[in-house]
Amino acid sequence: MLQRFLDPAILHGISSLDLVAKTVVDGFVAGLHRSPDFGFSLEFAEYRAYTPGDDLRHVDWNLFARTERCYLKRYRGETNSQLTLLLDASNSMKYTSHAVSKMDYARYMAASLCYLAIHNQHDPAGLIVFDDEVRNYIRPSTRQGQLYRLLAGLEQAEPAARTDFAKPMRHFQQFLNRRGIVLVISDFYEQPETIVKAIEPLRFHGSEVVLFHVLDPKEIYPEMKGPAILVDLETDRKLEVIPDYVKTQYRAKMDRHLEEMSERTRAAGMGYHLLTTDKPLDRALTEYLALRRSGHTSGLGGA
Amino acid sequence: MGFLAPWFLAGLLAIGLPVYVHLLRKQTTVPRPVSSLMFFEQGTQSSVRHRRLRYLLLFALRTLLVLLLALAFARPFFRHKSVLASDKLLLVAIDDSFSMNAASGPGATGTRLDDARRAALEVLSHRSPGQKAQVIALGGQMRLLTQPVEDSNELRAAVAGIAPGDGHATFGELGRGMRAMAESVHTPIELDLFSDMQQPNMPGNFADMVMPGNVALVLHRVGPAAAVPNWTVESVEAPGQLVDTKKARVLAVIAGHGTPAATRTVSLIVNGAAIATKKLDVPANGRATVVFEGLDVPYGESRCAVKIDSADGFPADDSSVFAVKRADPERVLFVHQASDTRSPLYFGAALAAAAQASFVLQPITPEQASDIDPSKYAFVVLSDVPSIPSILENSLIRNVQDGGSVLVATGLADSHREHIPVYGGDVADAHFYTRGSAEDAGFTTVGESDASHPSLKDANAWQGAKFFYAAAVDPGTARVAARLADGTPLLLDQQLGEGRVLLFASGFDNVTNDLPLNPAFVAFVDQTARYLSGQQRVSGARVVDSFVQLRNPANAASGSAAAKGATVDIVGPDGQRPLTLKQAAAAESFQLAHSGFYQIRFANGRDALIAVNPDRRESDLAIIPDDVLKLWSGSAGTGAAPAATESSTPPENNVSSLWWWVMLLSLVAALAESGLASRYLGTQREDL
Repeated sequence: MLQRFLDPAILHGISSLDLVAKTVVDGFVAGLHRSPDFGFSLEFAEYRAYTPGDDLRHVDWNLFARTERCYLKRYRGETNSQLTLLLDASNSMKYTSHAVSKMDYARYMAASLCYLAIHNQHDPAGLIVFDDEVRNYIRPSTRQGQLYRLLAGLEQAEPAARTDFAKPMRHFQQFLNRRGIVLVISDFYEQPETIVKAIEPLRFHGSEVVLFHVLDPKEIYPEMKGPAILVDLETDRKLEVIPDYVKTQYRAKMDRHLEEMSERTRAAGMGYHLLTTDKPLDRALTEYLALRRSGHTSGLGGA
Repeated sequence: MGFLAPWFLAGLLAIGLPVYVHLLRKQTTVPRPVSSLMFFEQGTQSSVRHRRLRYLLLFALRTLLVLLLALAFARPFFRHKSVLASDKLLLVAIDDSFSMNAASGPGATGTRLDDARRAALEVLSHRSPGQKAQVIALGGQMRLLTQPVEDSNELRAAVAGIAPGDGHATFGELGRGMRAMAESVHTPIELDLFSDMQQPNMPGNFADMVMPGNVALVLHRVGPAAAVPNWTVESVEAPGQLVDTKKARVLAVIAGHGTPAATRTVSLIVNGAAIATKKLDVPANGRATVVFEGLDVPYGESRCAVKIDSADGFPADDSSVFAVKRADPERVLFVHQASDTRSPLYFGAALAAAAQASFVLQPITPEQASDIDPSKYAFVVLSDVPSIPSILENSLIRNVQDGGSVLVATGLADSHREHIPVYGGDVADAHFYTRGSAEDAGFTTVGESDASHPSLKDANAWQGAKFFYAAAVDPGTARVAARLADGTPLLLDQQLGEGRVLLFASGFDNVTNDLPLNPAFVAFVDQTARYLSGQQRVSGARVVDSFVQLRNPANAASGSAAAKGATVDIVGPDGQRPLTLKQAAAAESFQLAHSGFYQIRFANGRDALIAVNPDRRESDLAIIPDDVLKLWSGSAGTGAAPAATESSTPPENNVSSLWWWVMLLSLVAALAESGLASRYLGTQREDL
């Protein structure tokens, strides 16, 4: 029932971004089955005999009272994973063929991920908004009010310029000096080789990098019945296009681009997911939780 | 080429509108945005050319549409020389009215009709090769004698076959006929009219004789150019039926048209023998009346005439015929109550006082009338009898359906009874005006009367009659001939089968009204008796082209037994029967087309001898003034065609309007523009 709140077309009717995020995440979480893989509270793991130097706060005093032996209580703890969202705010993200633009979709997704990370997982989350420059940077944190700073940053992220991955990526390096999860949300209208070359260095600190390729469905399967004049949202260049080309060569080029994006990012050890703006948002959330479980939920720790 | 309304060409400025719209559309074309042109390539030039071509075509169509609309309103036309002579229809109209029987000139032996036929044949012989012609006779009616044909023999035979007629021609009929013809014939028409151009042939309204635009009228006058003096027997007044030959008198009016004062000999002829002759002084261009006392005719029908020795050029109108029937007095059955002695007294006195009526009243009470055969009586009067023996009522109804007549008077006795014998209706109410409001004097009078009804020719005299009682009868389908001041029907005429029932809603005594004491009562009884006995229908003389009713149309339409199989028999003046057997079994009326005597047996079995005279307006041989003729011929077509004897009009410039063609092209352009524009708009809705 609550799954329907993951539909971007429905979320478009909600003006407040935090409410969007809460709706998405709560609906997503409520739809999950109870699973040992996705625990959010601290769970008991084992008892270990006390050795000198151990923190006395972890001693199970109840057991000590019954058995007069000193044991430490160990829990399966979840390590905090720093989540950094890189949001493309170039003009091309304004494109839409229905109610939800790519930028809206990206905002919903970013807001939901931030909410899930901070509110549910207690992970520090940060945001970098970029086009051909870094336009906004919010340092990852779990401080009070971090979620609202992130949502405000997302609200202010209006598409303005054209995309240039190479230039802002240089600055990303200085921001991302701690390992964590880096999610890049963009429409990636650039050569896959250039994109991979620009983003790959983010992995060098040990971060997991995942690319969310957001496209409008009509960008993948365009329809055109007659000749039309098209204008590029980023460069304002105009072009006369005929339907025959769109039906044949454009689709072939787009398919090849998507395929190459998938292959090159995976080859570089990065995750890649193609998301269309008419699809629910749960896929991104699922991916995020899977990443936390697989790569960044290691070891046992005290509660 | 020219324009009838060139100021509408200012509408060509509207061509700027499509120009503006197309320029505007080009400027406001909104390219559709895409995220990136990374995967797009420039389309081929052919697509752009195709679209531009389509825009140009649409622009051209819109411009053409505006241009054509402006042209259509400007009414373009082009002049061309007169159409080929062979394309013009030649109409030869010959006046065969009664006046065309007059001599063609002083001392001439031929008639005007002979001259007209000769001139018409001359025109036909000079027509262009291949030109179609049509022959028309203009008598009492316009008759098409041929179809438009090229066959000279057929046309000449039609002209030669035009016999002298007795009708009265009117050029108004010709004008109406030509206007009707012009609606179906779109080629130019040349109408050659051969006539004596008699003044009485002019209609009352000149506009009636104006010809339509595509008719060129050429007038050919035959006969003398000036009016010819002519004496004629203008009218004869004689009884249609008489009993006492010594009391009968014949009154004839002798008229002179353009004549000097002269003494004319007037003869009264009965069955071919002159029984009386009188000398009469006729004033110059005036009228005189001669009276013959006594009309000694044998029993039965007699063919009579009043004749003058005019010694003028138009001997055909020197006599006027009339038919007289001598018979024993016809009996009228008067059924009244035994207690009512006044009604037969008043009615009988009035019937006896009537000059022309020849009826004997037979009063009888209802009880005595049981075994009476109504068919032996001229008509039957039911005077205030609330009930009659059923055997009498049935025989009366049968008699009426076979052509008999009944006069019903509803007096005070009927006020207590609803059903009216024979008539079939009911007395809805009884109006006693003696007990009326105080504002009147206790009586009412006749409010309105139909002077065209045969019983009420002198209806104005009824105005002085006072009515104290009247039965209120629902008129239904009956004709209401007279009403009282309060609207109560007073005299109703109901057709029943072949006969009729006349209902007088009051009594014939002097209790219910004082009409019997009024002089108008005699005239009413006389006219009613003649009307109900059938003398009205057959007596006197008729005019050529008038109609006589042979059977009741309603009865014939309903197919009643009385009408089925009842044939009429007509013997014309020439001794021939003009109707075929089929026509005789079904014809409702007959047109008396010739002068003379018609022997007619009607559907109801009655015989009549009807005398028919030509319309005496034809005897006035005055000529239409030349200026009027010029005006008339000038009113036809676009060019003036004065009275002349030329056989063809000179060539003239004809104007052909292109309006229809321009509008047709506009329609085509509009349809093409709609189709193209809809395709264009469909492209605009595409989405990427």
